[in-house]
Amino acid sequence: MGAIEARGLKKRYGDTVAAADVSLDVGSGEIYGVLGRNGAGKTTVVEMIAGLRRPDAGSVRVLGLDPWQDRSRVRQVLGVQLQEAALHGALTVGELVRLHRTFYRDGADPAELIERVGLTGQRGTRFDKLSGGQRQRVSVALALAGRPRAVILDELSTGLDPEARRGMWAMVERLRDDGVTVVLVSHLMEEVERLCDRVALIDAGRVVAVDTPSGLVRRAGLDQVMRFRAAGPFDPAVLERVDVVHSVRTADERVVVTGTGDLLQAVSTALVRADVTVLDTSFQQAGLEDAFLALTGDPFDGEER
Amino acid sequence: MTTTEDVPAGGPGPRAWASLTVAEAKMVARDTAGLVVPLGLPLLILVMHGLSFGHATTADGVSLFERYVIPLALTIVVAMVGIVNMPSFLVHYRRAKVLRRLAVTPAHPSMILGAQLFVGLVQCVLGVAIGVTVAMLFFDVGAPQRTGTAVAVLGLATLTMFAVGMIVAALAPSTNAAVATGLVMFFAFGALGGMFGPAESLPAPLAATGEMLPFGAAVQAIGAAWVGADQDPAHLIGMGAAVLVSGAIAVRWFRWD
Repeated sequence: MGAIEARGLKKRYGDTVAAADVSLDVGSGEIYGVLGRNGAGKTTVVEMIAGLRRPDAGSVRVLGLDPWQDRSRVRQVLGVQLQEAALHGALTVGELVRLHRTFYRDGADPAELIERVGLTGQRGTRFDKLSGGQRQRVSVALALAGRPRAVILDELSTGLDPEARRGMWAMVERLRDDGVTVVLVSHLMEEVERLCDRVALIDAGRVVAVDTPSGLVRRAGLDQVMRFRAAGPFDPAVLERVDVVHSVRTADERVVVTGTGDLLQAVSTALVRADVTVLDTSFQQAGLEDAFLALTGDPFDGEER
Repeated sequence: MTTTEDVPAGGPGPRAWASLTVAEAKMVARDTAGLVVPLGLPLLILVMHGLSFGHATTADGVSLFERYVIPLALTIVVAMVGIVNMPSFLVHYRRAKVLRRLAVTPAHPSMILGAQLFVGLVQCVLGVAIGVTVAMLFFDVGAPQRTGTAVAVLGLATLTMFAVGMIVAALAPSTNAAVATGLVMFFAFGALGGMFGPAESLPAPLAATGEMLPFGAAVQAIGAAWVGADQDPAHLIGMGAAVLVSGAIAVRWFRWD
């Protein structure tokens, strides 16, 4: 049984369909990414899972519990970090964490939690006086205040500088080490590629694909590109015979080879056999972003990259 | 894999209630500007009236100070807290999605409402205590002739103001709108209820209406209790009706998010 199961979730607001038919199966202890462009329905889906929005149809189980019928039990074991949620602004970081700790039966040590999100220096600072990134870190700390078995993190690293972002990622990895199930809503490809065991691609209210990040790249069937300069005369036929190669052409005195699978290895072997010495080799592999674009069709909105 | 059985059931315990109440108290106490009017304005009114006609009496020999000034000061305290301060916090919490954030924890957003009402009540008690103490120490005001009645009508007045405040909390779309709406209601009820001078100087129909509305009714009822006069049922009915109407509106329109 999975830690979080969503079956056939549907939600519409007036004429807008936010979720057309979404099913997710999040395994216990995995980091599960929910990836999609703005307006794809990611937040609606996780808010239905968190029991904040009632689905028009479909069902949700969090650790076997229904977020509506077993509300209080689900709240004890599911930590949620929401986008754009404010907190009691006049309270300090320390006061907020201690306050939220009292909501739970079991919980983390407030001082330790504050240290984990790197805010020990700000524990006496009022929430209102914090920077956007620091507020984000408080928000994540509060999601962990009840030592949850599963957490939903919606746009975890919004507003964080690169260093703080890496710190946050390390913290999420530690959650996985502790056996906590993590649902990570994101549109940051680097974040998803680095953290997620599996990713659900959501587009226009539907799950387009579920796979590991590298599985998604493979699934998109995108070519890898290898470029090099041959030290001597070179016959393209040497490479055209290789299985995984799709095309070979010459541009600006450089040979450009495209293909799939283990392209780098296959081409290198063929070149060695043909006794061709190469210089300036470069290799480009399609990333999750390319796969995302290929699998969801239209180009990304741009601003949210 | 976790099984359902080992997940504890039940809502947040007394510690959660206590800490949320303390949190609300800190929020209110740290909003210094919000404390000036409910705690400061009544004092100012006491002092100004005390200096100008400290020992004046009405035609039938009742102390003006006990009949009108004290009731006015106390009504201002509960009206300001109930109609302006408390709702503006609730609207801010809804607007800034504090309530929504709370809804994903074991604490229900209604706990904030409870904590705010409690903290508001404490503010009222504090304001009333300060007002009465100052009046007794410096302006020769005695205890109410009918203490029990005074406490009861003051309680009813407080309930009325908080109920009216819930209309503001239910309908105001933003914190700014809440403060503005609250102040307009406060001053409108106040003006009709004798806050800026005796209600008798208003046109008769306005004065009669104002006396039935929450502010005027509270001033009259508290004043009557203080000087030992009988309660005019009209004032009590006026406040009771305001509670019912406000309650119905608030129940119908209040949203948590």
